[in-house]
Amino acid sequence: MNVATEQEAYLEAVKRALADLDPTTREELLEDLPEHLAEVAAEGEGSLAERLGPPDAYAAELRLAAGLGAATTPARGLDDRIAVAVRRVRGALGVADRKAGPVLGYGKASEFLRLLLPAWWVLRGYLVAMAITVLTTSQFGLLPRLGGSTLAAVLMLTVCVLASIWLGRREARLRPVVRVGLGLAGVGLVLFGLVGFDKADQYGTVYIDQTYSTNQYEYVQDVYAYDENGNPLSNVRLFDQDGNPIQLGDPYRCLNVDDYQAKVDATGPTYPHCPNRLPYLIAPQPGLRVPDRGAVVTPTPDGPTEAPPTASPVPEPSATAAPTGTPGATPTN
Amino acid sequence: MDTTQLLKGVLDLAVLAVLKDEDGYGYDILRRLRTAGLEEVGDASVYGTLRRLFQAGLLNTYVVPSEEGPHRKYYGLNAAGRDQLNRAGKTWRGFASTMDALLDERGVAA
Repeated sequence: MNVATEQEAYLEAVKRALADLDPTTREELLEDLPEHLAEVAAEGEGSLAERLGPPDAYAAELRLAAGLGAATTPARGLDDRIAVAVRRVRGALGVADRKAGPVLGYGKASEFLRLLLPAWWVLRGYLVAMAITVLTTSQFGLLPRLGGSTLAAVLMLTVCVLASIWLGRREARLRPVVRVGLGLAGVGLVLFGLVGFDKADQYGTVYIDQTYSTNQYEYVQDVYAYDENGNPLSNVRLFDQDGNPIQLGDPYRCLNVDDYQAKVDATGPTYPHCPNRLPYLIAPQPGLRVPDRGAVVTPTPDGPTEAPPTASPVPEPSATAAPTGTPGATPTN
Repeated sequence: MDTTQLLKGVLDLAVLAVLKDEDGYGYDILRRLRTAGLEEVGDASVYGTLRRLFQAGLLNTYVVPSEEGPHRKYYGLNAAGRDQLNRAGKTWRGFASTMDALLDERGVAA
């Protein structure tokens, strides 16, 4: 090491060790040190630390011989201020630690948090698996589906969680630099997880909105039209404001493809697709025209398979629902 | 017995003594002490002691510019320092002779 640099480094180290002294006292104590270091360095072989002992020990001896106890005057240098700030924060954290403890049912909050460490290791493994999935497939879900495979997801989740636990159990023995790195990585993972889950939530919301806004009639399987007297109409055609036919429901609900095609060829696409599955039945009234005279009075016109849906949200037709107006209106189409 | 333990009690007196005839700067004082036989005296102890004696009003100081390197701070005894040297010297001599007599009586080798 360069001689001057070594002396400066030694001087700085001693200065740091005396950081808690007030600046005037410290300057007085250190006044002779540069010259002394120069003399010692010029005198013989070996490093300063070898001949004078480590800077901390030198500082301690100096302090003791000068009759200064452990002074607590606040220091003013940037290093010192940071050191003081760190000490204050630690003190405040310690107080918060002790005060929050009883709330959680422990002597100190840190005792409780220490118990949660393994849980954090598991969560960390999960987040790592998720990060790998997002990086490779940019899909965020509840399971890290690597390549869309559930099996791969479970495998990767297992490996990552086990690895994280393994690492967690050895963390205390790692070097401080590595531990700080792990801590920062953990913060990054938590942020990543928050952002990812937030996005996943948004996707879900949009999906639900779309089902409501874009296809309100998705559940419609058939359309039944009735005239003002409650008579079911058959072979009804529906058009929108532009004259385009409205396609609703499932045309193959009652007919197979060929039969439906034959019907379309004969009459065009008309409603209802299944004329024999009327949701409302009309009680017989004089002059009322019904689609199937023989079956009107019974609620099940064509046997069990053709029965009206029992789980239908609308009430079963009854006499009260029957029209009371003048019969006789005849549907034309 | 470890000399460093003894030194702690008498370093003040030793420093005052080596400044009795001639002022000196820190490293110079250290060298005088070592030459006198106090090999184990620590560098920092001497500087700390100098500062404490100065604070106690027993020393005066002045700076002498040096041709090479930093300026040197010289220490010298003032009146109070000389007075303290005399009193502490007597105390030590009394103590030392008591100890000598104690050891002599019991035939402990010098």
